[in-house]
Amino acid sequence: MLEMELFSDVIKLISDIRHSKLHNSYDIAIHTEELVERLISEGKWKSAQDLMSLIKLRIARFISALPQEATPVNIMRHILKIIRDEYDTGFKSKGEGHQSLHHLVTANINDSEDYSKLLPTLKSSLLNNLAEYKVELESSMDNIATQALEHIHANEIILTVGKSNTVEKFLKYAAKSRKFQVIVVEAAPRFHGHLMASNLAKSNIQTTIIPDSAVFAMMSRVNKVIIGTHTVLANGGLRTECGVHMVALAAKRYSIPIMVLAHMYKLSPMHLCSSEQDAFNICASPADVLPYSSGPLLNKVHVYNPAFDYVPPELVTLFISHQGGNAPSYVYRLLSELYHPDDQEL
Amino acid sequence: MSQKLDKNVTQKEVVQAVVVAEHFGNEFVPITDDTPLSLLPLLNVPLIEYTLEFLSLGGIEETFLFCCSNVDVIKQHINKSIEKSAGWSLTMKVHVIISESCRSFGDCLRDLDAKAFIRSDFVLLEPEIVGNIKLLPIIKKHNEVCKSDKGAAMTLLLQETGLGQRGRCSFEELLMVSTPSNRVLLHQKLGTSKKAKIELPLEILMDNSSVNIYHNLKDTHIAICSPSVLPLFSDNFDFQTKDDFVRGLLMNEEILGSTIYWHLIKGNQYGAAITNWRMYQSVSRDILHRWLYPLVPDMGISSQQRSYIHLQNNIYRSKDVHLTQSNSLVEDVIIGASSSVGDKTKIIRSIIGESVKIGENVIIEDSFIFSSTVVHNNSVIKQSVIGQKCALETGCIVTKASVIGKSVVLPENSLIENSLIQSYPPKSGVTSEKLAKNAYRICHEETADSADEEDGLHRKLSRLYMHEESESSDDESIKSSDSEDNLSYTISPVPDDTNLFLTEVIDSLTRGFEDKLQCDNLILEINSSRYAYNVTVKEVNFNVIKAILTLPFQLYLGQPYLSSLRPLLEYFSPILKNYIRNVSAMVDCLQAIEVCRYFFYFLSCSILGDGLDYWITMGGWSEVHAHIGHLFEPFVLHP
Repeated sequence: MLEMELFSDVIKLISDIRHSKLHNSYDIAIHTEELVERLISEGKWKSAQDLMSLIKLRIARFISALPQEATPVNIMRHILKIIRDEYDTGFKSKGEGHQSLHHLVTANINDSEDYSKLLPTLKSSLLNNLAEYKVELESSMDNIATQALEHIHANEIILTVGKSNTVEKFLKYAAKSRKFQVIVVEAAPRFHGHLMASNLAKSNIQTTIIPDSAVFAMMSRVNKVIIGTHTVLANGGLRTECGVHMVALAAKRYSIPIMVLAHMYKLSPMHLCSSEQDAFNICASPADVLPYSSGPLLNKVHVYNPAFDYVPPELVTLFISHQGGNAPSYVYRLLSELYHPDDQEL
Repeated sequence: MSQKLDKNVTQKEVVQAVVVAEHFGNEFVPITDDTPLSLLPLLNVPLIEYTLEFLSLGGIEETFLFCCSNVDVIKQHINKSIEKSAGWSLTMKVHVIISESCRSFGDCLRDLDAKAFIRSDFVLLEPEIVGNIKLLPIIKKHNEVCKSDKGAAMTLLLQETGLGQRGRCSFEELLMVSTPSNRVLLHQKLGTSKKAKIELPLEILMDNSSVNIYHNLKDTHIAICSPSVLPLFSDNFDFQTKDDFVRGLLMNEEILGSTIYWHLIKGNQYGAAITNWRMYQSVSRDILHRWLYPLVPDMGISSQQRSYIHLQNNIYRSKDVHLTQSNSLVEDVIIGASSSVGDKTKIIRSIIGESVKIGENVIIEDSFIFSSTVVHNNSVIKQSVIGQKCALETGCIVTKASVIGKSVVLPENSLIENSLIQSYPPKSGVTSEKLAKNAYRICHEETADSADEEDGLHRKLSRLYMHEESESSDDESIKSSDSEDNLSYTISPVPDDTNLFLTEVIDSLTRGFEDKLQCDNLILEINSSRYAYNVTVKEVNFNVIKAILTLPFQLYLGQPYLSSLRPLLEYFSPILKNYIRNVSAMVDCLQAIEVCRYFFYFLSCSILGDGLDYWITMGGWSEVHAHIGHLFEPFVLHP
């Protein structure tokens, strides 16, 4: 019972995600941020260290329950970094002043801070910082969308796969001032592309929907491929909807640029270790592939319906986040800005 | 407790579900002797967790769990799950209701009616349901139906399932007739009725401009009920099961003023009830094949922890399983935590529980091994269930749908085939055979033999599915049903009275044969029905022969035709002699045989050998020959 009370917030989050009350990554991100904000303002902690261990316990709990869902873990990991920074600046402003370059170079690496000293202003400054972070999260989608005009030009043909809220908003923003054509790959067997196409068509974008098998044939006339992603891995590779790898390879063959719209919270310090499900993939119900009414055939076959695809970084041309465009090779740099090196392994 | 409940119910309109967690049968003996069926491990997780998690994911906020026996164990389990903050405990309240006096499903609902917990539409689950159906939209639809049809009492949830699929329970072959607006007109479970044919009342076709007839559906045993269902159960105290309820309501539609609707489960939704071992097996397999996604082992069923990894060929391995290089997991295997598997061991389509130790050179196929069991070297387990904490010494062979209860110790090299084994001597009244200190075989042979055909068949079908055997029996049944179809095509123009006469004759003969009545009396009976239906002598002769020839289908369905016909012919020979007296009668007889010509070749040696000689010596052959002789030429020439 004790454990349950301690973790009630994160358990609630897990159950909401499992019951698909929260299904897009933006809602999950906002809920996670609010969870930590509540923890900071109402939780029982004294020093930064206490707070960090509380958050780390929650991260561990979450990873064990939903290893495929990276967004909440990334948000909490970034907040850990915010706490560390606030702690450092809090003490710096008190006494030492700014550190000299010499001091930085000669400092012992092992001499890391233990964050156990009490800092009375920490709580208020953290809450301020989190409020800023929340605004950043909320505006991230719009910030990405406003860059659309830099990438989509008049009379271009854009290809996208399946459904992504960010891509939808991006395309709709561009459509306000430019005329272009979109080809949507339907993304069997879940066919989220159908919904995407109808949404785009409603805002008067000329939309064509094609089956997955027609991707290669259509690729020669496409100018740009714009997709969303589930997670960006540490090497700049993608964990994304099943079927995107094929699209990326076709684009590579025709040297067509692939742009990936990714919020900062999708960047994850994770590497692909094996394509087995171990940490990466997951198989959904076979019903989408072969209906249950197929009869005796089902007694004899195994049907797989994997949810994710891995796209290697060399196939991606550009990541677009709210800060602007970045090459895949630059992801490591973004990661070191987002997360503290000590928090990468949790 | 009850005060608290009342408060909860009146607070706001919550979506409620009723789960009857009692099976009221002995399908799962001896496993269920010490564990209640709700806690039977299904892929190493108690069944009840699947049910509750399904309800919670389906959007249910309050569940009433009916228990009649083993109440303490179930309560304990529920409390433990809540403490561990199982998935469902966060979004759903679970009330355990104890009613030890209940003897059937109907009793439970009558009890529930008396307690008056239910205020609005609710979801009714028969025992041991698994599923991943989104219930809220269906409840909403039921509500809408209720608005247009005040009498709508129940919406049955049915899932489309192809013929020949293992997920179809053979007792629950369902034939349903409904209107295009999904109102059920006829709902018949073919497995439980003895009749080979289905009668479709003419009114169904007369009263409705169009009807749909379905035979591709599987009952998920889940239903959305209006509050009026409970009073209906109370008023009709002969309703024992939900099927009784459906049948009763459809039969007395006008009197009770209630109607039943159905809803088709589509897409990636799945529902099933575990009613016997065969269903247990097919549901296990469906879960391994991820039809129940997201309730699959690697996602954790109701726990926050994930302990399994999903590998190719649907192999699920817990993280701390000890495997060696040389053992092979072929397909559809799940191995629970801290189990170990020895060298050169082969496991196919099986469920291995937690902390199971399996030795070297073991073969396990289509079997279920529950937790903490030890299997020593060189054992073979096929199509069987091994309970908790058993020990199988070196070289044991357990096959053919055996079920071994908790804590049984089998000595070295024992051979167990098609038996139920438990670790303690059974109560008096049940015969048993002592195999070892902790192993008693329960004998069911007597009950199966004592003319209780249905029970025997029941037992056979509810056992685990066996590959080779059942496939051959399937072929047989298809063959026999084919010939039956052909039969009915050829006789379709027969007028009604004659048809009735034929069924009457078949009934008399069946009864006569089963109760060993005197043939003279049977002749008397047949003659009286002849006058009752006003049929000619010709038709009498024709139909009597035809009845005898079709009898094997009534009595020994699925067995070789010839061997089952022989005793019948011997028994009914006085009747044959009585009716087949002259040449024209023989012609009738031969015509009947011709109609049943599909068995002609079987018959050739049994009656025609003597019969033709008899006819030939009677001098009537030339006349017969003139009519249909060409058919019989081969046999006349033969002697």
